[in-house]
Amino acid sequence: MTTRRSLLQLLGGSLASAFVPWRALADTTNGSSDDFFIFIHASGGWDVMLSTDPRNARSGIIEPPHTGNMTKTGIRLWTDAALGDGNSSFGLVQPKGSNLAFGPAIGNLSNYASRITLFNGLAMNTVSHPDGTVFSATGRHLAGGRVPASSIDTIIASELGTSQLLPVISIRFPSYAVDGIDARAVPLKVDSIGAIGKVLSRSTRYSTAETRDAVTLMLSAEAQDLAKEAFYPEPHDNFGMQLDALRGILSGNLKDAFTDTTLKAKYPTFVYNNSQSVGAVNAAFALEAMQRNIVRCASFAFSGFDTHTSNYGDHAMSQQDMFDTLAELVKQLELLPHPTKTGKKLADHTHILVVSEFCRTPQINLQGGRDHYPNNSAILISPKFKANITVGSSDKDQLLPVASRAFANGVRAAAPPDVLATLLSAVGIEPATFVRDGEVIKEILA
Amino acid sequence: MRTCALSLALALALCVGCSKTPEPAPTATSTPGKVEDLPGHESLRHDTSHKEGPRTLSAESYIRSYLFLFGGLSPIDTQAALRGSGTTNQDNTLFDSWNDYLGALGVPDYRDDIARSTQTNALMLAAFERIGVALCDRAAERDLKIGTTPAIVFTFQKTTTLPTRAEFDTRFDVLHRRFLGYPAKLAPTDRGTRFFTLFTNASATGADAGVRLTGQDAGWDAVCYGLIRHPEFHLY
Repeated sequence: MTTRRSLLQLLGGSLASAFVPWRALADTTNGSSDDFFIFIHASGGWDVMLSTDPRNARSGIIEPPHTGNMTKTGIRLWTDAALGDGNSSFGLVQPKGSNLAFGPAIGNLSNYASRITLFNGLAMNTVSHPDGTVFSATGRHLAGGRVPASSIDTIIASELGTSQLLPVISIRFPSYAVDGIDARAVPLKVDSIGAIGKVLSRSTRYSTAETRDAVTLMLSAEAQDLAKEAFYPEPHDNFGMQLDALRGILSGNLKDAFTDTTLKAKYPTFVYNNSQSVGAVNAAFALEAMQRNIVRCASFAFSGFDTHTSNYGDHAMSQQDMFDTLAELVKQLELLPHPTKTGKKLADHTHILVVSEFCRTPQINLQGGRDHYPNNSAILISPKFKANITVGSSDKDQLLPVASRAFANGVRAAAPPDVLATLLSAVGIEPATFVRDGEVIKEILA
Repeated sequence: MRTCALSLALALALCVGCSKTPEPAPTATSTPGKVEDLPGHESLRHDTSHKEGPRTLSAESYIRSYLFLFGGLSPIDTQAALRGSGTTNQDNTLFDSWNDYLGALGVPDYRDDIARSTQTNALMLAAFERIGVALCDRAAERDLKIGTTPAIVFTFQKTTTLPTRAEFDTRFDVLHRRFLGYPAKLAPTDRGTRFFTLFTNASATGADAGVRLTGQDAGWDAVCYGLIRHPEFHLY
C-alpha cells in the first residue's frame, strides 16, 4: 500500500508542463492544520437586495424587488410589505436575537445568523464577470487577461494543506496558482465531482485490477530508471511519484467520495432536485472529503444568478436554494465529528467564505432584469471571527459602498482584498505575503 | 633522385601501415566522450543555450495520438467503438465519453469558463490510464481475440503457446516502435525484461480471473497499455 507521504508528494506534484517551480519535497515545511475551508462562489453576480443587503422601499435610484418584477412563489420567508402602487415588496427577515437583517431569499441560512459575519458594501470597482470573479477570489483585478495573484483557496492549501491527499479540490471555483504556491497545492480543477468519479472508475471485464496495478508499478520503476539517465531528472521523478499516488487512489474506495449517487445516499438531507442541485452534491462532497480528511480546501460554485432579463423573476429562488444548501452544510458540520480532533465537531474547525463577483443594479432594466453593479457582499462563517455582525454598508439611495472605516490608506469602504487578508490573518498566514492590497480588519477577529 | 624520393615515401608508408599499435577493435559498448575528441571536431562550435527538460504536451496532442494509433477513427466513432455501442460486446463501464475526461485531462472548457490546466496531477494520470486501458482492451479484443484483419495495433502473429523470450522480444519490438517510435533494444532501461515479466504474469492472471481477455491476449493487452502510458510516451 502506498504510504500517506508518497500520496501527498504526488497528488499535487506537477510534471514537466508545470510552470510553478517545483520545490524539493524535503525543503517544504509548510504547516499543516486541523482546519478545513470551504469557498463558495455565487456565479453570475447575486442581487444582494434579496438577501444580504435587503432593500424593500423605493429610494433614490433603487427599485426594490417586488411582486411586479419578480416571483415570490415558493420564497418561504417572504412577507408582503405594500409599496403603495399595487405591488408588494417584502418584510425584512430579522432572526430572533440577531443583529442581522436579511431579505427573504436568505432561506434557512437565517437560522444560523448567530454564526455569520456579514460584509456589506464591498467596493468592487468592476462590473466585468471575469474581473469581479478574480477580484473576489484573489484580491487583485485582472492584469489584461492575466490573473496576477493566487486565489484564497490555493494560498491556504499551499500554506496549510500540503499534508493532505488533495490540498484543494476546485469545482468551477475561480482557483488560481500563481507565484509562491507549493506545487502540491495546485488546485485540482474539475467541472463536476461526478467527472472525478468517472476518471477513477475501472472496468474489471477485460483487465484485472492486479494487472493494471502491476503496469502502474512497472511504469513507476521505468520512470525512476529514466530519471537516473536523464539530464533533467525532475520530470521523470515527478512522473514516477504521481504514478505511485495513482496506485494509492485506485487501491482504496476513494471513488465513492466522488460519485454522485454515493454522496446523495450518504447525505440525504441536502435537496438534490432544485435549481442548485449541483451545488448540493458539491456540498455533500465537501463534507465527505473533510470527514475522510483528504482535503484542506473544497471550493465550488453555485450558478444561475446572472439575470439580465425576465429570468430575474427566478433570482430569489436560486438564492434561496443556495442558502438552504449552505444552511444544511452548516447543520451537518455541527453534527459531524472532526476526523482528527477528538471531541470536536467539524464546525469547530471549518471556515466558510461565500463570495460573488458583484451585485446587481438597483434599477430594473428594459428587459425586466438587473445588470451588473460594483457593490457586493460576502458571508463568512468561521469560529475565528466574531459573528452576528455586519461589516460595512451601502448607501441608502444608490446601493453603492460607503466609505466608513479608517484603513491605513484612509477612510474607505472595505474591499475583497481586506476580506481575504483578514481571513488569512485569522488562520495564521501572513497576509502581506499573498494579498498585496488587503488590510486586516482586526475588530472582527474573535 | 626522383626514384629515391619515391622509394623513401613508399618505405615510410609501409612503416605506418605496419604500426605496432593497431586501431582499437569495436566494442559492444562505447563510452561517451567529449565532442572535441572526435577527429575533425576540434573547433566545433557548441550550442550552449539553455535547453528545456522533457515536458508533457497539451492533452489534445495525446488524444490525437490515441486516435491515430488506434485506427484513425473520429473521436465520436472511437468513443462508440470503445463502448461497443450496438455490438454484443457493449460495455459502458469501460469508457464513458471523451467529454467526461476532458476536465481531468486539463482541457479548457470555455462553456464554463474553465481555463486550461497547466500542471499535471495524479488525477490527470488516472484519466490517461482510464483511456489507455480502454483503447488497448478493445484493440486486443479486435486484433487478437477476434482476429479481425487487418490488425491495427497488434500487427504480428500470435504464437500458439505462450511465447519464449525471443519470440516475445520480436513482437514487443513491433509495439515499442509503434508507441514509442524506436526499437526496443535501444531503450535505456531493462525494458524488455520488465515487460516480459509483466506479460507473463498478466497472461496467467487473465486466465485465472476469467475476464474477457485471457492467456497471452491479456498479456499483450497489458503490454499495450504499459506502452501507451509510458513516461516516454508522455514526456517530450
